[in-house]
Amino acid sequence: MSPLIHSLRQAAIDWRLVLMSFVLLLIALIFGVLSDGIFLSPENLYNIAQQTAVVGIVSAVAVLVIVARHIDLSVGSVMGFVGVLMATLMYTFNWSWPAAILAGLAVAIAAAIYQGALTAMMGVPSFVVTLGGLMSFRGAAFLVADGKTQPVNDPFFQRLGGGFDGAIGTTASWVIAALMSAALLWSVISKRNAKTRYGIPNNPAWLDALTFLVPALVIIGFAAAMNSYRIGSKDAPQGVPIPVLIWAGVAFTLSFLVHHTRFGRYVFAMGGNPDAAALVGIPVKRVTLMLFGLMGILIAIAAIVSIARLNAGTNSLGTSMELYVIAAAVIGGTALAGGSGSILGSVLGALIMQSIDSGMLLLDVSIGWRYVIIGQVLIAAVVFDVLYRRYTGDTT
Amino acid sequence: MSTPLVELRNIHKAFGGVRAVDNVSLNLYPGEVVAVLGHNGAGKSTLMKMLAGAYPIDSGDVLVNGAKVSIKSPVDSQRIGIESIYQTLALADNLDAVANLFLGRELLTRWNTLDDHRMDAEARKVFERLNKNFKNVRIPVRRLSGGQRQVVAISRAIYFNARILIMDEPTAALGPEETAMVGNLVRQLKSDGVGIFLISHDMPDVFALSDRLAVMKNGALVGTYRTRDVTEEEVLGMIIGGRRPEGKIQTETLDQSATV
Repeated sequence: MSPLIHSLRQAAIDWRLVLMSFVLLLIALIFGVLSDGIFLSPENLYNIAQQTAVVGIVSAVAVLVIVARHIDLSVGSVMGFVGVLMATLMYTFNWSWPAAILAGLAVAIAAAIYQGALTAMMGVPSFVVTLGGLMSFRGAAFLVADGKTQPVNDPFFQRLGGGFDGAIGTTASWVIAALMSAALLWSVISKRNAKTRYGIPNNPAWLDALTFLVPALVIIGFAAAMNSYRIGSKDAPQGVPIPVLIWAGVAFTLSFLVHHTRFGRYVFAMGGNPDAAALVGIPVKRVTLMLFGLMGILIAIAAIVSIARLNAGTNSLGTSMELYVIAAAVIGGTALAGGSGSILGSVLGALIMQSIDSGMLLLDVSIGWRYVIIGQVLIAAVVFDVLYRRYTGDTT
Repeated sequence: MSTPLVELRNIHKAFGGVRAVDNVSLNLYPGEVVAVLGHNGAGKSTLMKMLAGAYPIDSGDVLVNGAKVSIKSPVDSQRIGIESIYQTLALADNLDAVANLFLGRELLTRWNTLDDHRMDAEARKVFERLNKNFKNVRIPVRRLSGGQRQVVAISRAIYFNARILIMDEPTAALGPEETAMVGNLVRQLKSDGVGIFLISHDMPDVFALSDRLAVMKNGALVGTYRTRDVTEEEVLGMIIGGRRPEGKIQTETLDQSATV
């Protein structure tokens, strides 16, 4: 084996993610050519990014639920319920937005814990519990405001959903991009130092340089694209949309949980071998409950972004979102059998799906064909997953 | 007479109406290997799993160094110094060797996050003691060989300084070289004073490694004998027919002359 291949094999790089990044790039380029460059315009990229945020936020945590061998079909309904509730509290009951957010958060966590407890404590399959939740919470979303649409008028709250005033401007975008790149550099360097200190073999320097440079360039490139998009009637360019910033924060936090906390490690251990997890003394029930609780928190965040983007809470908010959430996780390489998946994968999966959908919309593909094609993309992703696992010997 | 390391007294366990373990008493002394034998379903694994905290005990007492202990969970068992190596290996296949070694007992930094580099370095030291060629410690253990996986499982016992070790078919999935490695390890742990319960179907293993053997059938104990007092045929007779060999003394408590 050549030293190059050897060092690539030893390095802890997720090749599937690298490959998916190329797939996303390829999709963007193809649509860019087909649409005479409109697809790659800052305006379109801005819209794709903010449209993907809600599904992306929920999908990031759905990855963990699926990794732990559970499923949550109720995410769209719970989001609709909590979204309408927050909008109603603000519009009909004149609550301030922080109070409404806190109430929504509490209700979302309660709903998630209720379903989590049935799953973790009673051993009812999460598929059944959340299938019931899918129907019940959709009904609850109707009951909250008797099916009436609840407008969201608070200008600050509206900004959380992106859109006209929902971006942070150029300076803040540059600063955040620079800070994220610096944090990335620091993490790569401190990892190298720690490995040297403990005498653990390091990746070759050029490989670590790439693991810093590529994401840093993507971040800075994204900030540059967002900073070059100016809405016609405004003086200043938009910068990074707030929902995308929230999504990035969610993805970063969850990645941290996965890689640096016991909770994250236990979720993966439970998915890899539930019996082993119990035998080594992992508190399986508690971790499952915490996982569902985390899902509740992120559904509340997604609900906030959603009603802020639509400027209203409606009883149909989030309808069939569970399908997109699960599809994004699966396209992102999460195995439904449990035990494997990544947060970054869900980000890429959500972007791939939204890019294909938006790209076809730009090309005037009819709604029927769009559904047909998106469905087949999902299947293609799973076929790829099966072949990839067969090739690497990771059959589960 | 010295105090046994472990005393199991009148242990009962039923699953539904089935008596999986029926009034079994068994001792284990420091530096001793006791083989636990029997058919599949004889109750030996269930008995050991109760000691490991995986199943609750219906009735009966467990004494460690003469003091009664309460084992309600795997964590309780580990705290007493009991480690188990299961037939199924109890590894999370999707995690790497380092993560598996520390699973459930991760080393943490002062911010309560995983101290990955320290675990990595510590793990490499333990693995190296057992197998010098074991270097790919950061890939999922499902891609490792049976021997390497066994190294990971055994490392869990060694790293956390087990006083009492339960080995459930430790050589079932291994080649000759790796079986020899396990044998050497058992002898080394014995000389360190670790007491070992060995569940095995492999008669050469049993006769090579154990000091005493206990045979179970249908949940009950047939008898406990010094390994050198009985023949393979007599042992098979106990396992299959539940017949005690004639004229052989049972050694439910190990007398001084039997200690090594």
